[in-house]
Amino acid sequence: MQLLRLEAYRFRNLSGEIEFAPGLNILYGPNAQGKSNWLEAVYLLATTKSFRTSHPRETLLYGEQDALLRGAVIEGNLTRELQLLLAETAKQTFVNGKREAVTRYLGVLDAVAFTAEELEVVRGGPEARRRFLDRGLVATMPAYLGTLAEYNRILKQKNRLLRDAADAADPNRFIPQIESWNDQLVRLGAEIHSARTGYVDRLRQALTPQLFGVETVDIRYRSALEHRGDLSDYAALFTERLALRLRNEIASGYSLVGPHRDDLEILGDGREIARFGSSGQQRSALLLLDLAQINVYNQAFSEYPVFLIDDIDAELDRTRIETLLNHLEGKTQTIVSTSKRALAERYGARAALRPIAGGRVVASATLELRDKAIDDEKNRGKNDDKNDDKNKDEIGAVGETGETDAVRAEAAESGDEEARHRAPF
Amino acid sequence: MLDYAEPVTRLIDEFKRLPGIGHKSAQRLAFHLLKSSQEDAERLADAIREVKARIIFCSTCNNLTDVDPCRFCANPARDRSIICVVEEPYNLVAIEKTREYHGAYHVLHGALSPIRGIGPEDLRIRNLLERLRPGPDGESEIREIILATNPNTEGEATANYLGRLLKPLGVRVTRIAMGLPVGSDLEYADEVTMHKALLNRHEM
Repeated sequence: MQLLRLEAYRFRNLSGEIEFAPGLNILYGPNAQGKSNWLEAVYLLATTKSFRTSHPRETLLYGEQDALLRGAVIEGNLTRELQLLLAETAKQTFVNGKREAVTRYLGVLDAVAFTAEELEVVRGGPEARRRFLDRGLVATMPAYLGTLAEYNRILKQKNRLLRDAADAADPNRFIPQIESWNDQLVRLGAEIHSARTGYVDRLRQALTPQLFGVETVDIRYRSALEHRGDLSDYAALFTERLALRLRNEIASGYSLVGPHRDDLEILGDGREIARFGSSGQQRSALLLLDLAQINVYNQAFSEYPVFLIDDIDAELDRTRIETLLNHLEGKTQTIVSTSKRALAERYGARAALRPIAGGRVVASATLELRDKAIDDEKNRGKNDDKNDDKNKDEIGAVGETGETDAVRAEAAESGDEEARHRAPF
Repeated sequence: MLDYAEPVTRLIDEFKRLPGIGHKSAQRLAFHLLKSSQEDAERLADAIREVKARIIFCSTCNNLTDVDPCRFCANPARDRSIICVVEEPYNLVAIEKTREYHGAYHVLHGALSPIRGIGPEDLRIRNLLERLRPGPDGESEIREIILATNPNTEGEATANYLGRLLKPLGVRVTRIAMGLPVGSDLEYADEVTMHKALLNRHEM
């Protein structure tokens, strides 16, 4: 599948639309111009979720009540239009202009994102890794979303009950009730456990553990119940552990047993990467996991999701970028963002370049002119050798207004050196 | 300042208290009544007054009724050895519409939900247990209890709770089946229902 076009209205600082090419697309331009916002918009259009925030209100242009994203997706010979309306508290999904339930909307476009936020998977706690697995599972098995939601609903009810019991004079009175929620927890928990272990097996087989050379990456699903009994009959073991730890659960006021305590072990050369891996190893491992996720998706649907890589040069060194882009060639539609013009130029021949400034795609000439202006400014800063910080701030503010662009464009046409320096810095 | 004369505003406010009625609907209902005849309005007022004055809960099954015991509990043609347990009176009506079930009912008036502060003591479970009490011959006349609470997490938890409570009493406890709606098309089933139907498939 491929995203042909994306329009954004009232979404963060974005305006206008971007046409995307098959294969590699590079969004480049100075920082704080909206490159990442475009990637976020693509991800939102695909999944209805942001990789940055769980509050849709944060994605609205300041002072606006809603934002609209609209994109055209082609799969085979079929083009479909997706539309996502983000209001402060609600979301509405449309396919081909008609309102559709999220379950029918999801899957028209799928995306995998490699972002700074996602590094939590290889760096942070187990929750981020469970989310990574669940995300991949939902994409290949939509009914899993229902199982997961139901499990979480029951967990919430049970936690409330455990808190009530912990506070009560006679906690024993709550036991029959707790047990009646446990029945469902076991049934759904066993489904989640088997779905996740199955998915990890598939991920592991799809992993190219040494793509980036030195270290070998491996993964393993670690149930919180392992070494506690026979995991092959998860439901029975889960039931047994729930009975055994009932008192502890009441005492703590929390559910202590279940797949919501499981983890995905990510190993680099046999050592846990979250604890012992270098920052570079962690990035490579995450990238390998993303690629494995893409492969599993492809095995299931004979299609590739769109792959988004935010700030590619900040996250990956030059050789890794080279290896990655070669690996992806002929597979995914890949959209990357970078602030380095050199990178954009290096891949210019095999990629569609989309210069971004002020939240929209601009003519590359405009951006080159700005780059030149920034270089000039830097040189001037070096000559001065003082007020370094002040200069940085000013560079950051370059190109915030359309007027600036206009003045520079004019300058470009007339070749007027003076006009360029008149641009309001 | 009131949008309308006080009696109209008051009527709109009262309508707005009803579930599913927002400001616009309330306004529409109020103006409909203003336009309708005196008798029509009186009839509605009487119906509301009467329902509060005459409707009580059946002392046996907790169903809504104007006579106690209700017409299901009093009907000698119905099999009193089977009790179908439902959450709300309208669930009972749904089952009754099948004309397939000829046993007795028991209405709980709710389902367990710790989040909403609803525990077993808030459901009408005590008089269900009383119905199971052995008669003078030492035998309970109840042979089976069908748990027909809703197929959602709360209904399921309530069924599990009752199952654990009732089974030790030696009575047969069953749960209604869940799966695809009959007479419709597979394409109309949502993923979760389809998933459950696949899990609960049976040998031909």
